[in-house]
Amino acid sequence: MERVPILKVGDVLLISIQTDLEDRTALALQEDLAEQIVRTGARGVVIDITAVEIVDSFIGRMFATIAAMSRLLDARTVVVGMRPAVAITLVELGLSLGGVHTALNLEKGMRLLAAPDPGGPPGTMSGR
Amino acid sequence: MIRELLRLHIHDEEDLFAFRQAGREAADAVGLDGPDRARVAAAISELGREAYAEHGPVEAVFWIRRVQRPALVVEVGFRREERPALAEAMAVAARLMDEVEEETRGDRVIVRVRKHLPEDAPVPGDARVRAVQERLARLVPASAQEELRRQNEELIEALEDLRRKHEELRELHAELEETNHGVVAMYNQLTQEMEETNQGVVALYAELDDKSEQLRRASESKNRFWANISHELRTPINSMIGLARLLLDTRADPLSAEQRHQIGLIAHSGQTILALVDELLDMAKAEEGRLSLRPVPVDVPALLEHLRSLLEPMAEQAGLRLVVEGATGPSDAPVTDEVMLTRILRNLLANGLKFTRRGEVRLAARTEDGHVVFTVADTGVGIAPEEQERVFEEFYQVPGSGGGGTGLGLPYARRLAEALGGGLTLHSALGEGTTVTVRIPLSPGGEPGPRRPPGAGRAGTADGTGQEGTP
Repeated sequence: MERVPILKVGDVLLISIQTDLEDRTALALQEDLAEQIVRTGARGVVIDITAVEIVDSFIGRMFATIAAMSRLLDARTVVVGMRPAVAITLVELGLSLGGVHTALNLEKGMRLLAAPDPGGPPGTMSGR
Repeated sequence: MIRELLRLHIHDEEDLFAFRQAGREAADAVGLDGPDRARVAAAISELGREAYAEHGPVEAVFWIRRVQRPALVVEVGFRREERPALAEAMAVAARLMDEVEEETRGDRVIVRVRKHLPEDAPVPGDARVRAVQERLARLVPASAQEELRRQNEELIEALEDLRRKHEELRELHAELEETNHGVVAMYNQLTQEMEETNQGVVALYAELDDKSEQLRRASESKNRFWANISHELRTPINSMIGLARLLLDTRADPLSAEQRHQIGLIAHSGQTILALVDELLDMAKAEEGRLSLRPVPVDVPALLEHLRSLLEPMAEQAGLRLVVEGATGPSDAPVTDEVMLTRILRNLLANGLKFTRRGEVRLAARTEDGHVVFTVADTGVGIAPEEQERVFEEFYQVPGSGGGGTGLGLPYARRLAEALGGGLTLHSALGEGTTVTVRIPLSPGGEPGPRRPPGAGRAGTADGTGQEGTP
């Protein structure tokens, strides 16, 4: 099974998903990430999904889960690089990525994390 | 027209992943653009995931429809379960795809979704479809695994089949063994039965031996009886004949004509009885094989002449001609018992004369193959074919032949001929006469011919008997 590499950039952990994820790879990623957050004391997580073409409810829920988990570990999560088609699909799937911040690209995402925490979960997407 | 693009089986998560990727690739390959491609991928991902999670192994097929509104068609098939099929995934798919339908086929449920191709895109031609098929086939690495799994399944099936065959063979073997037991049992029974039958046969043989011994003894008793009777009878008959002769003597007291006639009849009857008794005695001797031969060279012409003179009176009395040929005949002189040979021929001649009303009786002799062959031919009544078989039986007389006698003449003649090492045969046709042929070897065989049991002789002849007077 492939594992998704987690890079540390400053106090931010960068996850770049380059391929479609298998379910168990996604699950493993959640665990790895939680460990890394605790170990590095990172304050932010950036998930780059530029290469991701397929998003279904499972993957969508994974993003939400990662965001919620990170929040509990005192880290904010930003999903960056979402393709328009993926965005459309997620909406049509009726998925709510509660607690997940998004940015158009990596640079904007990093900047978002550098800004002070506006506090409270952002209502990024409509609820289900 | 609908063409299949790819068919794959989902047995585990890797298959599921491959299915998802195939969905995206298929959408891309048939010309669906970004959002639609993502929709298709998401929708089939949802369907595949739920179908696999809820209903076990899934068979998924990608089609391309090129009639009506061209579309990418994806089917997900699985075994039907009690619970409702893919309610959630179908709801999601309905939002992402153009058509969603569910079909039940026997014990399987097939969920089919369609995504229309862009309206402005050209309908894919055959070449394009082939290219897509190849691309998808390359894409799914799981297809190798799938292939392996399929082969595995086939192997397992083959093994199972083999096991069944083996089982069948074992059963067959058991049946055969049972049959064998049956056969062995039957064989044993047959053997036993055959043994019993064999014992029966042996017993039967013993009984037969016993019976034949009894028969032989009976036959001996019969011969003894004949001999005794003959001896016992001869004495009183001789005295009867002697007394009659005394009464008839001219020197005795005169008798009336009537008395002379009656006593003449008595004397004549006595002579007849004596002849019969002598014959019986001879026959008994022949039967017992007690005839002793005294072979001497026989002058055949002289013998014939003697016979002629002997029987001429009888022929004259019957108004017949007696013709004797070969009085100058064979120069070879057979070495045999002259008395017996004479008796045979005289018997036959007397027979011929007795059963012939008119015409002649002819006696001839010739030499042939080391034998002297005598023939006695008459022009008499002849013997019917069915009677010819019986005239050699002792005491048998052809019904209605009207001759007197004991019925011993022919059997006796034959027995004597055999005793001389020769034989006697008979040819006859009813109303045309009878020819009897006697063959006597030129030199004695040293021993008498084979004895025949009484009545076993075949041939037939006018029977009756020659009276054999005492010489």
